[in-house]
Amino acid sequence: MSEHLDTIVSLIRQAVNEDWIDEFEITAETSFNNDLELESIEFVAIAEKIQQHYGTDINFIEWLGTLSLDEMIELNVGQLAEFVEQHMAYV
Amino acid sequence: MATFLFVVPPLTGHINPLLPVAEDLAKKGHFVAWAGHTEVVSQHIPASQPCFPLPSNESTFVDENWHKVRGLESVKFFYEYFCLPMALRCLAPLEKIVDELNPDVIFCDHQMIAGALVARKKEIPWVSSVTTTASILKLLDVIDNWLADKLADLQKAYGMKQIVERPDFSDYGCVVFSSQALIGQDKEYFDAPYHFVGPAINQRRKPTDFPWEKLEDNKRKILISLGTVNRDRCTRFYDIMIEALKDEDVQVIMVAPENYEAEIPDNFIVQSRVPQLELLSHVNLVVSHAGHNTVCETLSHAKPLVVSPIRDDQSVIARQVVDAGAGLSLRFGKVSVAKAKQTIFSVLDDPSYLLAAARIQRSFEPLQGSKQAALVLESLLDPSQERVYANG
Repeated sequence: MSEHLDTIVSLIRQAVNEDWIDEFEITAETSFNNDLELESIEFVAIAEKIQQHYGTDINFIEWLGTLSLDEMIELNVGQLAEFVEQHMAYV
Repeated sequence: MATFLFVVPPLTGHINPLLPVAEDLAKKGHFVAWAGHTEVVSQHIPASQPCFPLPSNESTFVDENWHKVRGLESVKFFYEYFCLPMALRCLAPLEKIVDELNPDVIFCDHQMIAGALVARKKEIPWVSSVTTTASILKLLDVIDNWLADKLADLQKAYGMKQIVERPDFSDYGCVVFSSQALIGQDKEYFDAPYHFVGPAINQRRKPTDFPWEKLEDNKRKILISLGTVNRDRCTRFYDIMIEALKDEDVQVIMVAPENYEAEIPDNFIVQSRVPQLELLSHVNLVVSHAGHNTVCETLSHAKPLVVSPIRDDQSVIARQVVDAGAGLSLRFGKVSVAKAKQTIFSVLDDPSYLLAAARIQRSFEPLQGSKQAALVLESLLDPSQERVYANG
């Protein structure tokens, strides 16, 4: 889990690429909407980067499409890592 | 002479663009009446135009939480706790008003959905008023589908025979107070007959005191205005602005909450209200929360922006500004002094932002704002006449 978490955090930092993000502590509990203040379109761009990184082994974008509105609002970094972890285990 | 009924929510930004449209129709001899929350609407409309009261929106939950939500959550919050309950509450009283007044045409704010449903049920020609272009663009399936479900439930609850995906957009026409040059060409719209009329700017505002004599001719000027709903949210943003600009050779006019306490530098004028429209002719740059009206008014004056969106539609409008090349954006809760300074001077020092703002201004000019909106509304009076189409 922590390996995927680190990868995802690093992908987020690269994608946001603003001064505050370097010093902003990103943990499993960090949410995209409230903590990172990412707009939907920015989140989609990050999701695409994560999908690219892991390649076709996981259907990351497809999984995001199954989330409800409340789940999307609450979505945090740990849940992304958990999805990758669970899925990679079956590959 | 015909009777027009304007149905509006208790939101100043949604009422303001409709005031010059009502004035234009009244000048042509038509009768304009309003339906809305009287305590808000009557602050704005002239005494010659009556306002029929709709039940007010009392909710301590909304008042207490309105300021706390941001981003996608604020969009859901707005519909779930404000817009949809308001529609339910207003349906029966509005039906009664429409029966009594028997208007020829209803002009209904797209977020005052009771008006849309009553007009459809009573088979009265109606036009949607779109005061923010975020609403007509597809955002994300997850939120678009959620809203479509909620709107379907509302239509069922009101006993509509035909359930449509977006009952807030009229088949007769939707007046959009913007231009496609600002919205952007590559955007995906909900399907509706849009009339892009550009901004309708209400010139008759209450006079606000301002120390005009303090403005220095030889200095570049920046107006910082986050709009009333966001103004009081948190003072960090204002602190950052002061820190970033206090030693710079610019003059700053900042709209801050009445209780904002800080040492005000000599090059700042801080007030809780300013005559924004008059000030726009004097400033070189506007720092804004990207509210639709402020953005359109600023661009109508061909002035570039630094946008810092917080909630609701603001991130969509902010992106339109950035994509049009008319400004840059700052992340509201994360902005640092260095980033604020760098972003503001990037826009001030590079004329390309000014040129892009002027391009948007030129896109607005031929659309004629309120005049064109009034023509669209009048075109519904005689069904045999060809409909007026405005294509910004």
